[in-house]
Amino acid sequence: MSHAIIEAARSEGRSLLSEVEAKAILADAGVPVTTTKLATGADEAVALAGDLGYPVALKVVSATITHKSDIGGVELGLDDADAVRSAFDRIAAAAQAADPDGSMDGVSVQPMAAPGTEVIMGITQDAQFGPVLMFGLGGVLVEVLKDVAFRVVPLEQRDARQMVREIQGFPVLEGYRGAAPADLDALEAILLQLSQFAEANPEVSELDLNPIFAYDDGAIAVDARIVLA
Amino acid sequence: MPSLDRVLNPKTVAVIGDKKASGYMWLKSLETFTGNLYSVQLDEKEIPGIEELGVTNYSSLGEIPEPVDFVVCAVPRQVSPFIVKDCVANDVGGVTLFTSGFAETGEEEGKVLQDQIEEMAREGDLALIGPNCMGLHIPGLGIRFNRDQPAGTTGDVGFISQSGTHGMNFSLTGAAQGVICSKLISFGNGIILEAADYLEYLADDDDTKFIGMYIEGARDGPRLIKALRYATSKKPVVTWKGGQTAAGSRATQSHTASLATNQAVWESIVRQCGALAVDSLDEMVDVIKTLRLSKPAKGRGVGLLAMTGGQSVVMTDAFAKEGWDVPTLSDTSYEKFSEFFNVIGGSYQNPLDMAGTIGQDPKNFDKILEILEEDPGLDALVMELSATFMARRWKDKPEELERLLDSIVNFRDRSDKPILTVLHPSHLEAEALAARLKLQERGIAVFANFERAANAMAKVATLGESDS
Repeated sequence: MSHAIIEAARSEGRSLLSEVEAKAILADAGVPVTTTKLATGADEAVALAGDLGYPVALKVVSATITHKSDIGGVELGLDDADAVRSAFDRIAAAAQAADPDGSMDGVSVQPMAAPGTEVIMGITQDAQFGPVLMFGLGGVLVEVLKDVAFRVVPLEQRDARQMVREIQGFPVLEGYRGAAPADLDALEAILLQLSQFAEANPEVSELDLNPIFAYDDGAIAVDARIVLA
Repeated sequence: MPSLDRVLNPKTVAVIGDKKASGYMWLKSLETFTGNLYSVQLDEKEIPGIEELGVTNYSSLGEIPEPVDFVVCAVPRQVSPFIVKDCVANDVGGVTLFTSGFAETGEEEGKVLQDQIEEMAREGDLALIGPNCMGLHIPGLGIRFNRDQPAGTTGDVGFISQSGTHGMNFSLTGAAQGVICSKLISFGNGIILEAADYLEYLADDDDTKFIGMYIEGARDGPRLIKALRYATSKKPVVTWKGGQTAAGSRATQSHTASLATNQAVWESIVRQCGALAVDSLDEMVDVIKTLRLSKPAKGRGVGLLAMTGGQSVVMTDAFAKEGWDVPTLSDTSYEKFSEFFNVIGGSYQNPLDMAGTIGQDPKNFDKILEILEEDPGLDALVMELSATFMARRWKDKPEELERLLDSIVNFRDRSDKPILTVLHPSHLEAEALAARLKLQERGIAVFANFERAANAMAKVATLGESDS
């Protein structure tokens, strides 16, 4: 029995889930994500921001806009109601400019997570071996160097342990040059949750958690993207 | 899945379609077979040549007067469905289809024919190996697909190969280095039985102590993972994947119709399953040789014994590059060495430069080994044997080499620490080869250079490490 959100997206003929949808599914699966809600108007955005606690981030939600920050659809570090209200207006105008024929569903509202060591996790499909989990450090350098570790689903505890430790950049997670070490147990736990998630949801063809902020106690995914097969 | 028991332990073999144009390669390769060998050939022109080989020919499988356990089929692809049908009708133990020209061609005709034989074999529960393969090599039973393959001796390495060439090369190159197969299966397109089936079989096969595998792809990836995990729970498995690059994957598509998998993903699967990964035939033989002839090192400290100062330096670099520690030794070791070691033109730092010391008195070599055995910082020893300096002497005084080998064998038998040797090619290659073969006969792992020894020993050592 797949998740109601997946069923709904399917029935609408969509393969890309919104950030709000993706995070809701992942939260149900036990993956730590920043609570993220959809606001369809400025008043609603302000009310949600009040509930979630300032500062907040607003991001455009639209089925036709995939690169949100490129078009000015992301506003970070909003400290009060006025900031949220004006950010909403700017995002609406940017969305209209970027895609005059498209319709913006609204904006996502989420509390700003405290910065931590950035890591990424993802799920892709291998033609022969099925879902594959990926782990790496966040940031541009890693994209260039392809410093990532893979494991085929399902993972055992040992696999998660090895994965986190086999990337070249592992010393960064151990607390390089006085930085706080990342909570490796928390990262391993997320990998195991994602492995279970991939097994339970074979209709998910791609998943990206980018970035995840790792702290010395815990870790949280601040952005999530899910594509259905 | 059809059972492999009969076809992999055959008492009777029939070759269908062998011919003069191919030099009767199948019947000639199988003349060492310990059971009854038959031929099936309809072509009148081919029959006298077959009978000259002393093989009885029949015009069909059904005429052979006893049950046939293993059929080698070398007919053109258009005829293959008839042979498969006949194999089912006669309840043979299994068949290998040397015949090619199926899905790997990418042509419609080949695909249709492959589907046809697959369906027939599946319905008939036939153990069909291939098509597009060299089939079986079982040295203990004298089953071969190449006349240079060994016969009459049972080895302990099960080898699975999606490629006939790599299977053949492993059996030949391996045999030259003392690595003999228990059972070798070249399975080509693997339409009924694929790598996972053979892995499971060899995992439970008592004759097989080690498994090597060359693979290009799997029809059922998750099943391969399951079989690989099962096999590594029983014995060491070494894998070699063809098609590691985008260009290489395109080649596997036309070779065995295999799909591409990202190499990083494949390597993580191998690690996840507790197997070892290698990238070449030489590395495969090196690693299996090391597994057979030495214990896994329990740590990463290695003692290096060279014959000259220059070699001691590059040997150290070679091992350090593969992640080995070449530590200084304990005070106790140094004290003992200082009592007899010749430091004029020699050194016992680790690496050791010891030609002068053992040249002075051969007993010094045993003393050196004893000291290194006791040294707590060392987990393994590697020794250089220099053909450049010694080959001429070994030829004149073979007892000197024997004495050296006795010491190495003694160490190997009594110590938990593995000992490997390196004997480089030399200007006196015949003498170097003779020495290499002597090492091999005594069951001492010998390598052609430091880099290969360092790599093979490092791969094997990962099996000794804990899971974390």
